Amino acid sequence: MAAIELEGLTKDYGEVRANDGITFAVERGEVFGYLGPNGAGKTTTIRTVLGLLSPTAGTVRLLGRDVTDEAQLLEAKRRLGYLPDDPAFDETATGREILDLHASLKGDERSAALLELFDPPLDREIREYSRGNVQKLGLVTTFMHDPDLVILDEPTSGLDPLLQQRFNEFVRAEREAGLTVFFSSHILSEVRKLCDRVGIIRDGRLVTVEPVESLLNRSGKFVRLHADEPIPIRSLEVDGVHGLESNGGAGPGDGTEYVFTFTGDINALLAAIREYRLVDLSIEEAPLEDVFMRFYGGNATDAPTATEQTTAGTDRGGSGDV
Amino acid sequence: MFELTRYDGRRRVRGSIALSGGLSALAAMVIWVYPSFEAEVDLDQLLAAYPDPILQVMGVQTMTSLGGFLSFELYTFGWVIMLGLYLAYSTAGTIADDVDRGRMDVLLSMPLSRRRLIAERFAAMAVPIAGANLLPPVVVVVGARLIDHPLAVADVLAVHLLSIPYLFACAGIGLLASVVFDRAAIAQRVALGVTFVLFLSESLLTGTDAETIGAIAPMRYYDPNAVLLEGRYDLAGAGILVAMTLAFLVASQLWFGRTDIR
Repeated sequence: MAAIELEGLTKDYGEVRANDGITFAVERGEVFGYLGPNGAGKTTTIRTVLGLLSPTAGTVRLLGRDVTDEAQLLEAKRRLGYLPDDPAFDETATGREILDLHASLKGDERSAALLELFDPPLDREIREYSRGNVQKLGLVTTFMHDPDLVILDEPTSGLDPLLQQRFNEFVRAEREAGLTVFFSSHILSEVRKLCDRVGIIRDGRLVTVEPVESLLNRSGKFVRLHADEPIPIRSLEVDGVHGLESNGGAGPGDGTEYVFTFTGDINALLAAIREYRLVDLSIEEAPLEDVFMRFYGGNATDAPTATEQTTAGTDRGGSGDV
Repeated sequence: MFELTRYDGRRRVRGSIALSGGLSALAAMVIWVYPSFEAEVDLDQLLAAYPDPILQVMGVQTMTSLGGFLSFELYTFGWVIMLGLYLAYSTAGTIADDVDRGRMDVLLSMPLSRRRLIAERFAAMAVPIAGANLLPPVVVVVGARLIDHPLAVADVLAVHLLSIPYLFACAGIGLLASVVFDRAAIAQRVALGVTFVLFLSESLLTGTDAETIGAIAPMRYYDPNAVLLEGRYDLAGAGILVAMTLAFLVASQLWFGRTDIR
């Protein structure tokens, strides 16, 4: 039995179809990333899974329970932790009062240990909390009852880099201990660090579900290269360079600054440009939007299905400029 | 059970103490001015000077006894109108504000059914309702003795006890508004408006052909004058108020049970 099973989930708000026929399953013990640009419908899926929204069509099973049946949903929620994208608590309560309420309603197995990791100022009122502190308190309330499944909506927003790293380590350790994690993000690099599998949603439709490695291999890097002297275009015709652009001049090769997406072997690229004197070079994770543009076209409805996308890292030239 | 009620109740204690104190001060003031009022003003003449609708709205029957004076100066004004509106307003803020500010997601992710959440939050309104009725009766009984116009203790207790189902019914109006509207400000305005219109419909339409319309108003079933002037306790009325409260609660649960939390 999967931890979360969606079958043709559709949520229609009338003017917008926020989720359109979404089908996938999150297996027990895996970390599943739900990836998509802002406004793609991630939060709608999550809130439907939690029974906060009722599906227009399709079925949702959470830990094997039908979420539209309140008695069954209640059963599932006993073993569930949830952190919303913008968690909110009573402004006038202290962190400790919030923890006490949560403990009384769902139990407390491990808040002491969690508070050492994420340490919100418990004796202060929530209204004095920074966004990061609210997020820390939210993480403690999410995990304190030792759930089997946690659903996290954009969990690292609001956390500083140090805490993000701590959070990542924590999630990896929890996964080792058998926890199932379903989390949404619009940041590819966040997903790559944690996930086993990734589902990508765009405009309310599921574009693909696949292991994170294959996605990363295809998503490529965003390379910006600044040379002292113009580099001949031939030198940059390395396997895996797409959408090469240069600044100024009539075309690629005339300028001194080059940007392109790169999906090949990074050593091959470095070897090719070794003889040129560089002013600057940056290699970054491709922005998620670019990944969509590159591989799924401008419109998610044109997207190939997951089974059609088998090979990774091969040249997909001609798919358009970045 | 009742974890949420306990939590909410604790958070309402301070406000309820302040409420009790404020109402006690109002009670003390009304009692304090009564002797000079009685001595220096021809109360029947004063009464005759008011237009009838005003007397009707304020529930003025007589000013020539402390019971009658308290009945409108303190109980009609303080309890029926002010507290009634306050509870409708305050309860209207509960659920709608949770939804409005995104707290509902966290609450409902816990093993807590929607019906139970509504019932528990509503039950916590017992704290301000009971709190408002804790200190003032003592002030009224003692104050009346001090100015040598003693009141029957049983009547004073009854006027407070009977206000409890009335105030719950007003809170019920607020609760229903709170689940129907997911913006707290709107829910609160609607609750205030509806409660006030019900009050007016009851007090203004009494004695007219449209009197039956006032039958849906909680105010019809709580009459401080009857208690303090005639020693008549309307237990059937209290029963109707309890039934009204339950109807508001169940309607709110049904509505909230099937609505999308936006």
